[in-house]
Amino acid sequence: MSENAITRRSFLAGSAGVAAAAAVGFTSFGAWQQAHADEEAGEGRTEAVHTLCNACSSKCGYTAYVVDGKLTKLIGDPQNPNASGHLCARGYGYSQIAYSKDRLTDPLKKNAQGVFEAISWDQAYAEIAEKVRAIIEEDGPDALALVQDPRPSGSYYAKRFMTALGSPNSYTHGAACNLSKVSGITQAIGAGDWVSDVENSKMTMFIGRSYCDGIRPSQVAALERGFENGAYTVMVDPRCNNSTVFASEWVPITPGTDLALVLAMSNVLIKNNLYDADFVAANGVGFDEWAAAIAECTPAWAEEITGIPANTIERLAAQFAEAAPAASIEPSWRGAYGCAYANSGETARAVALFNTLLGCWNQPGGALLTSSAAAGKLDDPRFAAPPKPEGTLLGTKEYPLAAASMGSAVFAGEMAKAGVLKGMFFYNSNMAAGYSNPAYLADALSQLELMVVCDVQMSETALLADYVLPETSYLERAELPEFGGGKVPYVAMRSQVLDVIHPNTKSCDQIFTELAQACGVGEYFDFTQEELANAQLKTVGLDVDSLRLVGTVQFPEKAFVYGTAPKWNTPTKKVQFTSEACAKAGLSACPVWVAPQTVPEDGAFRLVGGKEAIMTHTQTANIPELMNIAEQYGLDRPWISAADAKALGIEDNDECVVENEQHSGTSKVRVTERISPGVVYIPSHFGCTVPEQHTAYGFGLRIMDYVPFHIEPAYGSAMTQEATVKIKKVGA
Amino acid sequence: MANYGMLINTKKCIGCYACRTACQRQNNLLPDEAFIRFEEREVGTYPSVRVEHVPLQCMHCEDAPCVSVCPTGAAKYGTDGIVEVDQGRCIGCLYCVAACPYQVRVRNSQTGAVDKCRFCTVAADDGTKMCSCVEACLTGCRIFGDLDDPNSEISKAIIETGAAPIAGDLTKAKIYYVR
Repeated sequence: MSENAITRRSFLAGSAGVAAAAAVGFTSFGAWQQAHADEEAGEGRTEAVHTLCNACSSKCGYTAYVVDGKLTKLIGDPQNPNASGHLCARGYGYSQIAYSKDRLTDPLKKNAQGVFEAISWDQAYAEIAEKVRAIIEEDGPDALALVQDPRPSGSYYAKRFMTALGSPNSYTHGAACNLSKVSGITQAIGAGDWVSDVENSKMTMFIGRSYCDGIRPSQVAALERGFENGAYTVMVDPRCNNSTVFASEWVPITPGTDLALVLAMSNVLIKNNLYDADFVAANGVGFDEWAAAIAECTPAWAEEITGIPANTIERLAAQFAEAAPAASIEPSWRGAYGCAYANSGETARAVALFNTLLGCWNQPGGALLTSSAAAGKLDDPRFAAPPKPEGTLLGTKEYPLAAASMGSAVFAGEMAKAGVLKGMFFYNSNMAAGYSNPAYLADALSQLELMVVCDVQMSETALLADYVLPETSYLERAELPEFGGGKVPYVAMRSQVLDVIHPNTKSCDQIFTELAQACGVGEYFDFTQEELANAQLKTVGLDVDSLRLVGTVQFPEKAFVYGTAPKWNTPTKKVQFTSEACAKAGLSACPVWVAPQTVPEDGAFRLVGGKEAIMTHTQTANIPELMNIAEQYGLDRPWISAADAKALGIEDNDECVVENEQHSGTSKVRVTERISPGVVYIPSHFGCTVPEQHTAYGFGLRIMDYVPFHIEPAYGSAMTQEATVKIKKVGA
Repeated sequence: MANYGMLINTKKCIGCYACRTACQRQNNLLPDEAFIRFEEREVGTYPSVRVEHVPLQCMHCEDAPCVSVCPTGAAKYGTDGIVEVDQGRCIGCLYCVAACPYQVRVRNSQTGAVDKCRFCTVAADDGTKMCSCVEACLTGCRIFGDLDDPNSEISKAIIETGAAPIAGDLTKAKIYYVR
């Protein structure tokens, strides 16, 4: 029985503390009490514990019910802004990672024959530390790097470990996710994201993002409410995605050409004087230059590029003007311009500028620049940051626009291949399978003198490692508080739901603390995870015990207020229609048309990826509940349009060869009316090559096998959709 | 005595499978044992196309073919109009699986017995939190309630939306679909 579990008895005993905390901003306690008070009072065998899902990055808060030590039902927490009372299929399914037969159970070391053997933690730490010392002695700490997909504890502990070692090279998975989007938007408005207020909007356009496929429950609800409220919702996507259920219009587009659409709509607004000139004059810099630069970007011009009829573009722009300021383009995430094309960063920049033309910033129904909650300064000297590394993040020079909070992990891969990086740590990251071309990355990472991977199951990346450190599943560990933003900022926390299942696994805070101690920098980790959590929470008037009881606490006093004048955190303190940094990085000062670098030759198709509602990253494919759905419904199948299939003599479910210069594989295909001709979609989660993942192994194609290794100029992303494939029926 | 039924609004279904995976957790099912299956239909041709997702599960028919063919009485009518399976009496002959026109009965690969949707969400009536299909649905597709009570939410919604069983009068099914 987990000591963190909330039984009815402990809830009652703890209620005094909660009442005290309520004075500093609990909003959800009443709802939680209502939801829980009547339950499971009987035997005392059922516990209800608040935790945060770890399937995707949304970290939805939910209540895990544990009966006699075994996880049973999962109920999304209404007070958690991401869950809003619900979980998605991935969330329910991925909870079973705790019980996976394929869990890593002991530290592993690759022996001289290339075979993993179990070793003790002490041996693992000692040997890793010895190699870290040797690398630092020989090449300095700049030859070390970390790649992680940030999670509440990992983003603190793993990065702090690298900083303590003196290395500036901490990367996230961003280069294969939303790096270009965040970096491009930042150039325009000085923030990396916004919330499109779809539920109160008159019109919202989504570009390559589908709330109903890459699901965060609260976003699905907002989209549904918006649609029911009469918002004109537009899905711009080569695929008729599942969000089109709540869309007024599906606008199919040639992949990689979203920038042309946005420039042409901007052109229409400017040419017809339909933009908010007062807002632009008061907030913008460089507008005239941009207006002149896109004067030729007419709807007719864009039709040629995007495949969208000019009159549709003209109409959409006019509709936007009519709906403004209760209208916006949604910021998107990974899909169309997070990391996909040579023009992704510039697309993001143009989208932010288009919204500026609408004057919709912070307006009801518009684009909201919300803030996030954060822990305050910690007084205890034990939590003081290690000295700032002397070097700069590798890639800063080559990809100057890449957000420093993410960096370009794919460039780090290139530097491993070049021998510049000698030692790399990976936490919660399957870079070798998911970030760029797997064959290239396998070769690159194999050059390292030291490669350490910390994960819960064997992965393509872990297979390449010298040492694999087994982590507890997210259900078996508590983590640091997760401070989040949105209309109402909040803090949420993952508590330990289950007892540790495999006794020789450890939580990430423990692993990085002990690694630091072994490497001689333990002085920066002289505290427990709970001490740090308490210190962080104290700065917002909370503590671990009270937050544990409710899972999520919102801060209504910090809630977003419509009409607030935006603060532009750019160098000019204005919305930058022209950016000096972009010009310095070799781009146009203002965003202009940049073609995707890949042009399909005759008979080739543009390749696109994207999430399905049951899978995320590469980590859910080994969950039998989820893979069973994929198998039953053929969700691994590439999509090809009915028109293209007919021309190629392909029928639904035919076994086909999908090939390009990088890779060739066979799969059944799905013939559908739901995709643009000239495009092939490969779902992003399959094709696992890890035999130790007994459920996922060998099922489906892996989209990254078809993507060459290359990096987006200036922004540093992996250009994950700059690829074409040919397709033919097996035997044809 | 209630006569329970469900309404599923396919116009709001996004085909996300949350109901299926939630049900597996709520009812402690095996990974390959799912009480909900899905049909997907494309309507129209590119680019004027839309998609319809139709979740299917035990319809709790008033004239259930599974009950008729079951040789042991394992498939039976329970209380409140809920069709049940007595796991202990099931001999795994699979007649019911063949007889069900909706193909929603599944064999438990460990016990060999057949199982299917139990309308478990009835237990949520007293306020118990559940991750049943009804509670889990992200878009509120599903309404559960007493078909015999003209004032129940479901009875009103059926009239309001014109919801109807998926296969007309093939059986006296108690899941009504808005399409």
